[in-house]
Amino acid sequence: MDPTIAALAKAAGLDKALSEFPADIEAAAAQALGHAEAVKYPADPAAEPWPPMHAEPTL
Amino acid sequence: MTAPGTALHWLTATEIAQAYAARTLSPTELVQALLHRIEHLQPRLHAFIRLDADAAMDAAKSATAELHAGRVRGPLHGIPVGIKDIIDVAGLPTTAHSKILVDNIANQDAVCVARLRAAGAIVMGKLSTHEFAIGGPSFDLPFPPARNPWNPRHHPGGSSSGSGAGLASGMFPLALGTDTGGSVRNPASVCGIVGLKPTYGLVSRRGVFPLAFTLDHVGPMTRTVADNALLLEVLAGHDPDDPGSAQTKAGHFSATLDRGVDGLRIGFIRHFHETDMPAHPDVTAALEDVERILEAEGAIVKTVTLPKLSEFAGINRVILCSEAWSIHAPWLRERPGDYGALARRRLLPGAFMTAGDYVGAQRRRAELIAAVNDKLRDFDVLMCASSMDPASEIDDAAETARTYPRQARAPFNVTGHPALAMMSGLSGNGLPVSVQFVGRYFEDATVLRVAAAYEKAAGWYKKHPPI
Repeated sequence: MDPTIAALAKAAGLDKALSEFPADIEAAAAQALGHAEAVKYPADPAAEPWPPMHAEPTL
Repeated sequence: MTAPGTALHWLTATEIAQAYAARTLSPTELVQALLHRIEHLQPRLHAFIRLDADAAMDAAKSATAELHAGRVRGPLHGIPVGIKDIIDVAGLPTTAHSKILVDNIANQDAVCVARLRAAGAIVMGKLSTHEFAIGGPSFDLPFPPARNPWNPRHHPGGSSSGSGAGLASGMFPLALGTDTGGSVRNPASVCGIVGLKPTYGLVSRRGVFPLAFTLDHVGPMTRTVADNALLLEVLAGHDPDDPGSAQTKAGHFSATLDRGVDGLRIGFIRHFHETDMPAHPDVTAALEDVERILEAEGAIVKTVTLPKLSEFAGINRVILCSEAWSIHAPWLRERPGDYGALARRRLLPGAFMTAGDYVGAQRRRAELIAAVNDKLRDFDVLMCASSMDPASEIDDAAETARTYPRQARAPFNVTGHPALAMMSGLSGNGLPVSVQFVGRYFEDATVLRVAAAYEKAAGWYKKHPPI
């Protein structure tokens, strides 16, 4: 296994899954990369995320 | 009115209410008949995780006595409903079809279930799902997966699989499902029923086990569009304790069902199924038929273009994985072996998403919402494919893995627009194919109106599985 993936899994607290299901960990890392690469980020630096932060009067 | 000779198990909620009013049927008779049918079909279809037969019969007897006394609790008085097993029903386990929650007894009804009971509905029990509404169909869970009534060798879609299988086989006339990436509309599509993902925030999610907070919806599942509108009328409404609940007045979704589509403008998103993700020929042919039928009914159908399906799907996946990881991380760390393999593999990617991935996806999401809203300024409703293929054989894991993601439902979880899937024909091998209608925010009634016009003209609702 790529040591970076193993390190990331440990950092996420997945030591048990890393030991018992190493193939799932490798597949998950690959999938995450694939999903993230499919995202086309907005060109406009000021484009805000959905939903925007809203302050509302309370009390 | 009820067609003469219609078997009790195929009666719609609307027909049942009419039969009760005419005193030609009682809740006790109906529930007895449905329990008999469930007993007969459950071993083949596994729609239920837990049938609550005794409580259903007790509720039916009470409903019958109330009718005799002239008391009607509400529009669903004495009408049976099935509940997906990620939705709380007081006193019953909410297992989410998982070993993780197998002993998780709900203390109180979810808001959507409470609304059903207040309207007089009878809860029949808890229905099969994919594990935590994401991992399935699977054979390594505490309960078997539901199967498709049109051919039990095939899957019934998911994750609201028991809802789809139970409705299509006549176990109950109404069901609740949930939809995060298409999970109401997938079983509706492949089981030949009607499933609506309402506008985000229209139906409370309190008491429903979350999968991804900003994508989760509760939706009505039925055999007809009129029943769907009836069920939505009961479910919709603001819930101050659901942070995503919209501040809207309750809608009257049945009132405009009969208005037809004459003069309505419908945008047909062809590129989803023609070039982005080329559909099975039977799906494509049925969509062309839908267009012809709607035009014959007076609608103006024109081709529209949105961002590519893969972009919507990518955004849905990043958001879903990130939010689901925040929910499941403790169990994935401590009890990874208690998940089925599919759920574990689909939930773990969230551990490898970065904050930047998530925020980036949410920023692009705002642009995709604007793109859909822009088209809905020119069109009353959009129309597109739902599933790109008929259901695969449930034992064929490779074909299921290939075809499951081939869908055009996730875009409208990303955007939150109301989207309805329904039967548009039968494939060459006798399995349902489907169409999807999408509307403006809080114009769920217009989506239902178009669906009702198509249903009436096409007549597929009269077709039942040969089971």
